[in-house]
Amino acid sequence: MSCGTEKKKAVDLHQGVLQKNLSPERYLKIQLELEEAVTLTEVELRFFIISGLRSLHGEVGAALNFDLLEHSDVSNVAVLKVSKDDLVKLWSSLTLQGFYKNHRCAFRVLQVSSSPPDS
Amino acid sequence: MVRVKSRYLLCEVNVTDRNLLLLLDDRAVTAAVKDVVQRMHGDYGAALCSFGFSVKYLNAVTGIILLRFPKKCYKQLWSALPFITSIEARGKQISCFLNCIYVGGTIRTCQKFLIRYNAHQLRRMLPKCKSEEKHNIQQAILDCCLTRTHTEEAEDTLESEEDE
Repeated sequence: MSCGTEKKKAVDLHQGVLQKNLSPERYLKIQLELEEAVTLTEVELRFFIISGLRSLHGEVGAALNFDLLEHSDVSNVAVLKVSKDDLVKLWSSLTLQGFYKNHRCAFRVLQVSSSPPDS
Repeated sequence: MVRVKSRYLLCEVNVTDRNLLLLLDDRAVTAAVKDVVQRMHGDYGAALCSFGFSVKYLNAVTGIILLRFPKKCYKQLWSALPFITSIEARGKQISCFLNCIYVGGTIRTCQKFLIRYNAHQLRRMLPKCKSEEKHNIQQAILDCCLTRTHTEEAEDTLESEEDE
């Protein structure tokens, strides 16, 4: 059907993969966009995420287990791994982070999946 | 409109020095709970606590507090209560810890439990009291409580005589 193929062409930018969410982990691929060109090391990024969790979700949030799997210094893209139950808290605290050391910033979530993203 | 449900936590404040307990007031307890919820659950917890949380009853003599939480989030806010180490009241720091003894859906069930609990505490304290006069008073009160007549008046007298 012609209208179906047209829609497929328009949606080529995002890749949608349907999975049964059986595993208890979630992988979050995020990009930190900053107004000025500041790059963060792994440690700084991890500390920044934890401080965001602490401000929104307190000590309980700061104690959440998450892993920083891959990190690129150049483009500030990182892959985080959290357990299924903690995803909402982590994502909400990333959303509400507005400032990094007086620079305006924003976390863009590029991909969420229950298996490690291949990049 | 369906009724708004809430959970009432009956807590006991344990202190080392009973004289400091008399300084408690509800504003101090409210501030202490809000502060600890802000610390443990962050801005999200503080927002949960801002509407729907209140101190309904406070007895400084026995150290019993009745806290009201909304039904949806009472477990989260309950989990923050063990982290209270001190309450600041009237300029003094009372180091204490909170012990939750009952969770009820209405104030009436909490009151019923509190009457039974106070009677139980009195019976526990009766062997320990020394002077004869006090012994007689407590015995009379226990008799009154056992026959279950005028339970509300009994509750008031029970609470005032419990401070030994």
